[in-house]
Order: sequence, then structure tokens, then C-alpha cells
Amino acid sequence: MQRPTNLNESQWQAVRHTGSHVLITAGPGTGKTHTLTHRMAHIIPALKSGEKVLAITFTNKAAGQMKDRLTALGVNSAQLFVGTFHSFCLKLLRDYFEHTALPKDFKVAWPQDITGFDKETLERISRMKSSQLAIDPNEAYKEAYKAYQSYLRQKSWIDFDDILREALLLLEDENIAGQLRRQYRYIFIDEYQDSNIIQNALLKILARDGVLLTAIGDANQSIYGFRGSRVELFRRFQEDFSPAQVLTLQENYRSAPSLLAASGQVMGGLELLAKLDTEGKLVIHAAATDRAEAEYVAHQIEKLIGGFDMTSCRRARHSLGDIAVLYRLNAQSHVLSKALEYLGIPYQISQKVRKALVYADENVLGQNEEQVEYNVEKVSLMSLHAAKGLEFPIVFIGGCEDNLLPLDLTGMKGEEQEERRLFYVGMTRAKEQLYLTSARRRQLFGRTLIQNPSVYLADIAEELKAYESSKHNAPKKDPDAAQMKLF
Amino acid sequence: MKFIADLHVHSKYSRATAKNSDLENLYLWAQYKGIHVVGTGDCVHPQWFKELQEKLEPAEEGLFKLKEKYAKPINVQIPKSCRGDVRFMLSVEISNIYKRHDKVRKVHNLIFSPSFEAARKIQKKLGDIGNIASDGRPILGLDSYDLLRLTLEADAKNLFVPAHIWTPWFSAFGSMGGFDSMTDAFGDLTGHIFAVETGLSSDPPMNWRLKELDDFILISNSDAHSPAKLGREANIFDTDFSYDGIYQALSDKKDKGLVSTLEFFPEEGKYHFDGHRVCQVRWNPKETIQHKGVCSVCGKPVTVGVMSRVEILADRPEGEKSKRWRPFKNIVPLPELIAEAKDVGAAGKAVQEAYMNILAQLGNEFTILLECPVEDIRRVAGDVLAEGINRMRQGKVEIAAGYDGEFGTIKIFKPGERRRIDKQMALF
Repeated sequence: MQRPTNLNESQWQAVRHTGSHVLITAGPGTGKTHTLTHRMAHIIPALKSGEKVLAITFTNKAAGQMKDRLTALGVNSAQLFVGTFHSFCLKLLRDYFEHTALPKDFKVAWPQDITGFDKETLERISRMKSSQLAIDPNEAYKEAYKAYQSYLRQKSWIDFDDILREALLLLEDENIAGQLRRQYRYIFIDEYQDSNIIQNALLKILARDGVLLTAIGDANQSIYGFRGSRVELFRRFQEDFSPAQVLTLQENYRSAPSLLAASGQVMGGLELLAKLDTEGKLVIHAAATDRAEAEYVAHQIEKLIGGFDMTSCRRARHSLGDIAVLYRLNAQSHVLSKALEYLGIPYQISQKVRKALVYADENVLGQNEEQVEYNVEKVSLMSLHAAKGLEFPIVFIGGCEDNLLPLDLTGMKGEEQEERRLFYVGMTRAKEQLYLTSARRRQLFGRTLIQNPSVYLADIAEELKAYESSKHNAPKKDPDAAQMKLF
Repeated sequence: MKFIADLHVHSKYSRATAKNSDLENLYLWAQYKGIHVVGTGDCVHPQWFKELQEKLEPAEEGLFKLKEKYAKPINVQIPKSCRGDVRFMLSVEISNIYKRHDKVRKVHNLIFSPSFEAARKIQKKLGDIGNIASDGRPILGLDSYDLLRLTLEADAKNLFVPAHIWTPWFSAFGSMGGFDSMTDAFGDLTGHIFAVETGLSSDPPMNWRLKELDDFILISNSDAHSPAKLGREANIFDTDFSYDGIYQALSDKKDKGLVSTLEFFPEEGKYHFDGHRVCQVRWNPKETIQHKGVCSVCGKPVTVGVMSRVEILADRPEGEKSKRWRPFKNIVPLPELIAEAKDVGAAGKAVQEAYMNILAQLGNEFTILLECPVEDIRRVAGDVLAEGINRMRQGKVEIAAGYDGEFGTIKIFKPGERRRIDKQMALF
């Protein structure tokens, strides 16, 4: 069979691979979803009647996009289940309800519904439930866990983590597991670097007896350790699923070569092959204060989209939807949004990551999905975490400072390697222009902090960086305004 | 009844506008100019909306007047010769910035509403989409098509008018951020647009050169950023003095309610010709073609002005009229004429004093520009201004065309001519 022109050699190899499990290491912009969907489209026509493909995505939105792509490739949706782990497991709990210990009228508990437990306790419990197959008897939060579980039971609720845990219990029934294996002959999992131990256990049960697993992801983009994700699962793939082939996609079709070089340097010399010849621009801007930083960002955005009135207009290739402003902490968004608002620049702050995980459950979906009635473009403001999987021609990363990237504030400390990966994820969102900004003085959580630049900036070669001073070009006065003094 | 309307204006809540762009000053200047219906501008801006509700009261159907208590202190400032009724019509301009077919589009659009309820509905919908409080002319990442849909959904009697359609940077036909046809921009909803605004840099004959524009009636407004700039362009109606009258005159292709328009000399507009202001390169369309659109000073593409853009899109020869054509008159604002007659800057105090003096004796500015016998003007304002107005009426003015954001400059008198005119007249 000829290689289709829209797949490169390594993508084509990944698409055609047969006979074993496969782990595809796919760096940013290497055509991960493209390859995955083509592989699915390649496999599905060979399925026997009644057989299906199970595709697990990281978010519900990603599931929707994958379905769209598969439809475009002419794949019959009847032979597919595409969804998050949560949506798949919830479906299992409903389909095999009588084999579970769940109350008849069980409902999914939304985080905001849960009362009587503080945030930290809930986070600890959640991490415990997503990282321990059997709850450790020495666990410090064991009592709180018990209280929480009986609170849920009393309400006939099941929380996000329990959806997976209950499904795992269900699959201990070998009859059910066998049924599923006969049905789902191929399993695809996206963003494998961010899966947790429970999800791994589910896969181990399902991907057996001839069922073949295709996992795709990038260990350098594992950023959900705080939620129980285990990047070592990625490295352990060949032990967990044997025999398994490991393939790598290295050709990057997203970023300008200079930006790719810069992000590679941050990851310690990692080399992806730049396939685009667009001219990249990496700007370093150090502002005096967080407000000045935000004003700089806002003025740059106005310039980039070519100005808003007759006096500041210039040619532009970009509009509002092409630009993202990223930051480590949601607390940074306030001052940024103020500055954008002041210039009248439309923006949206993307919802919290937790919401992006929303599983496909019609009963609960409606109330949380914003109805998009009109086509509206806005500048996107979001945390680095929320930016995962997205790409923008122009990306600003605010607060490139030594205690924000890596995060090291009182009571908030990120795992060092994971913080670096997070910064890498942010950098690799940019296609053409990347602005890394910082402030010398920053108001954060009611305190004034004196800041130094992030150590990551020093990892980028000087010749790739363009320094811009704090003097932004304020829009010139309207000549009309001068003439208005006429009378 | 016959009346003059200037429907595109901005309040003090828009960027780069005069601080006195408020209802009282619009009311005042409308009378100086001789305008009877003024667009409020900015009517979805929360504070301006509040002010409009507070200071206006319903007059004729869909039109509003300044409440007596706000009008009274202004009335005493207005010479008796200029006093007249002023009505407001709810209006707003939206700056749409979005990508379509992979190109950045920047299109300004006007919306008119027949009632506060209708305007409120638009305000609510736009408020849900973006920020309407930072700028009286809100910037929205909304497709023009969607704005039109939203406008019609809010109230069937809302009017949607693409603004200054030729302006390079911010308009439906603009060379920099526009489309090649109205249907490209507005698709299946194009039929819900009845009128387009020609803008300062184009006059009706330039617009007649596009057959597509036969489906629209051409209107002209000042886009004033300060009350003193009202009436740079305007529309003369002879129809029912109401929103419905205006709506009918624009929407019904058989209606003759829009009688004519008053126009800037298009060369005076900021974007008539092509070029680079900074490089001081000013080209007519032919010169631009000769240079392949590339500036001879900086080597970058020049800002393509209205004249060139019309030439590119035109599908009808010069000199032919469109189906819905209306007569028009070119005018020069009276303060500019006074300045030209006195050979001083238009912003000076001498001009201001002369302006008020002439208005007090002869009536509002439009009356003076359009109707006053030259003899009367001569008696009150002297020979040079009278001759200046006479020449303006005959179109005998010389204009260095505007380009790349620079207004064109008008010359009515040659060097030494003013003295000669004064002298000649003294002989009689």
C-alpha cells in the first residue's frame, strides 16, 4: 500500500503498525491526533461485525474534535466509542448497573455540589483515590476519606474518581471483562503521559486476549502529577503491555524553527525536526511591575491585530482568536484582564481545568456548557495547564519569574521537573511568536513580591531572544482630537 | 416634511472623542448646523444609555427629544436665527474584528433602533458576547454576519448600515480589512441591509460604479467625534418625521423619502488617494499602479485609498448613474470657508467669532452654505467669503487629496486673489 501524501514516513509507520501494542511518542506539533485518527480509520474497515474501537481522550472537547476528524475520514461512528475515561466508565456503570454495588438512583457529584469538606481535604482525598489502587492503611487522610465516602453514599452520589474505581471493580468480573474484550478489539489512548494508576489498571484488564492498545503521548508534556498522573507509566509501557513496539514522531509542523529550538533548549537539548520555514519571534520583556507587564501585553496585542482606530492602524495577519495569554497561577489573570479591558480588547478567561474534563453525560452537560450562539473571537487567557493540547500563532507567557516558573511560593511548590515540562508545554503552544514577560515587583495574594527572572529563560540561547524595553508605543493622539479644539 | 439628518455620531464615551460630546452640545451644534435628526451614537454603552434614558423623552414615533430642563439652558446660547427642533435617533457603531477565509477583517457597522427596548436587547446580547463598557464604539470579535443576525433577531425594525464602506482599514469594502462584495461579508442576510454609508472619502458617483450597490441606497453622515464636526455630511429627507419615515425611505426601493445627500468633497477625505503619510508619498490610482503599489520611499505596500479601491471593484464606467441614485451637493464646512477667506487656521479664535456672527445674522450653517443669496452673505460677511461660498456651490475648489489618514486640503483662492476680490468689489 502506498503512503498517503498527508502522512510522513514515521506517521505512516505508526498508522500501519500491526501485531502488537504500540506506544507512539509524539512531541508537540508532530501530528498526534492526525496520526491517531488515520490509524483508526485504517483499522476500522477490517473489523468484524459487532467489533468496535474504543478511543480514550483526555477531555470531552478533544473527544468531539476526534469524532469530527473521523467523520471527515469517512469512519462509521457505529464502530466507535470516543470519549474520556470518565465517560466510558460511566457508560459501563450504567450498562452493567446490576453488577455494581451502586444505589439504583446514583448521580454524579459535581465538585461544586460537595459541601462540608474543605478544598485541601478534598484534593488530598482525590489524589489518594486516583493514585492508590487499594487505599493505604497508613494514609493520613484515611479518616477523612471514610467520612467523605459515607457522605457520598448517603447522598447516592458518585464522584469523578469513583466513576473510575467502580468501573475497575466491575471489570473484576471476568465475564464482563471478556464481553468487553470481544467487543472492543482495539483501544486507543491519547495523552498517555497523563494517565493515572487506576486508568492503567483499567487498560491492563481491557487490553488483553488479542485486544491491541495504541497509546500516544509525550512524556515531556506530563503536567498533571498533582492529580495523580504518573509519567513513569509512559516509560513502563513495554512492561505493562507486552509485546509492544515504541515509535516516535519527530517532525514538527506547528512552530517556527527558532521557537522550536528555544523550547528544545528548555527541555535540555531535545531536538524536534522543524518542518515549517516560518519566521519565528521570541520576545523577552521585563517590566517594572505586574501592572506594567499587563499593559505591555495589552498594547502588544493591540499592535499585533493592527490597531483599533484610524491612527493606530497597520497591516495585520492576526486577529483576536490567534492570541493566547498564559500564566502559571489563575491569580495572575486579574491584572492582565484589567489591562485588556482598559483598551477594550475582547478576551475570555478559559474555564478551570476541572471543567474541561467534563464527561459526556447529557444530563449534566447542558448546564455547564456555554451556549455558543454567535461566532465570536476573543483573546484567550488561561493557565498553562489549561493550554495543553491547544495551539496559537501568538502566545504570551506572563510571570516568567523565579518563584512562579518553577512555582515556589509559600504553601505552593511544584515538582521541579514537572514545572519545567509545564513551561515547555506553554512555549510549544506558539506557532509564530512567543512573548515571555516578567515583572520585577508583583502583587500576589495580598503581598508585594520582589521578583527575579525565571531560571528557564537562561536556558534559551541569547541569539534566539529579542529584548524589548518597557516603552510601549502608546497609540498616537487622534488628529481629530487636536482639531476638536477648533471652537 | 423636509428635514436634515446626520445619523453617525459619537459620544464622549468613544475613544478619541471630545469631552463635550454630550447630548446638550449635540443639541446645540445641531442647531448651529441646521440638522433636525442626530444619531445618538454609542447607545449600547451602559453609561451613555443611562444618560440617554435620563435626558431624552419620546417625541415623534421612534425619535427622541432633549427634555425641557436640559434644553432650556442651551436655548439661550443659540441665536434666534438658528433655533429649530432637534430629534435624536438611537444609534451605535460596532467595530467588528474577526478572521474570515483566513484574512483579518475589520468592519465598522451602524445599528439604529426604534426604541429603548430594542436598543436594550442589542445591549444585552452584545454584553453577553464581549465588553461594551470600555468604548462607546465597542470592539467585538464578532463576525459582521453574526452582528447583522443579532441585530435582526433583537428587533425586526432595527436598521443595519455598513459604515463608511470604503475606508481602507475599517470597512466592508476596505482595501486592508474588507471584502470584495457585500455578499461576501453578509451572505444570505445581505438582503436585510437597505443602505450603506459612503464615508467622507467617496461621493455618490464613485459608488455608482459598482452595480452591486444598486441594491442599496447611499447615505452620508459626519461620523463626528466632536459636536462641532456635525453635518460634515448629511442626508436630506422629505418624508414622515419619524423613525418609520426614515426606515421606509431607506428600505422601500420605491420610496422617494431620501431626497439628496450633502457630501464632503471626497478629495478632502482622509483616504481618497493612496500613499504613505510618513513617507509623504501621495499617489492617485494611476501612479499607484505605475509603482505596483510599493512605496518609493520605504519599499512597503502603500495604503490603498478609496479612489483606487473603487477603481479595482468597479464594474460600470464613470459617468453612469446607479438605479437608486439621488442628487447630492458637495459642501465645505463653513469654519473652513471662513478660514480660507481670511487665510488663517480654521482652529483660530477669529474664525470662531466670525462663524457665530454670521450665524446670528443669516441663520444656520446649512442655510448659509446651500440657500442664502450670495448678496446677503456679502453684506454680512464680506466679499471674499461670499465668493468662497459661491465657488464652493459651483464646485470650483482646488483640493490636495487626502491620503493614508491625512485629510485633504482645500484651496479656494489663489495667492493674491483675496486682495483682488476685495478691491474689485470696492469699485462698485
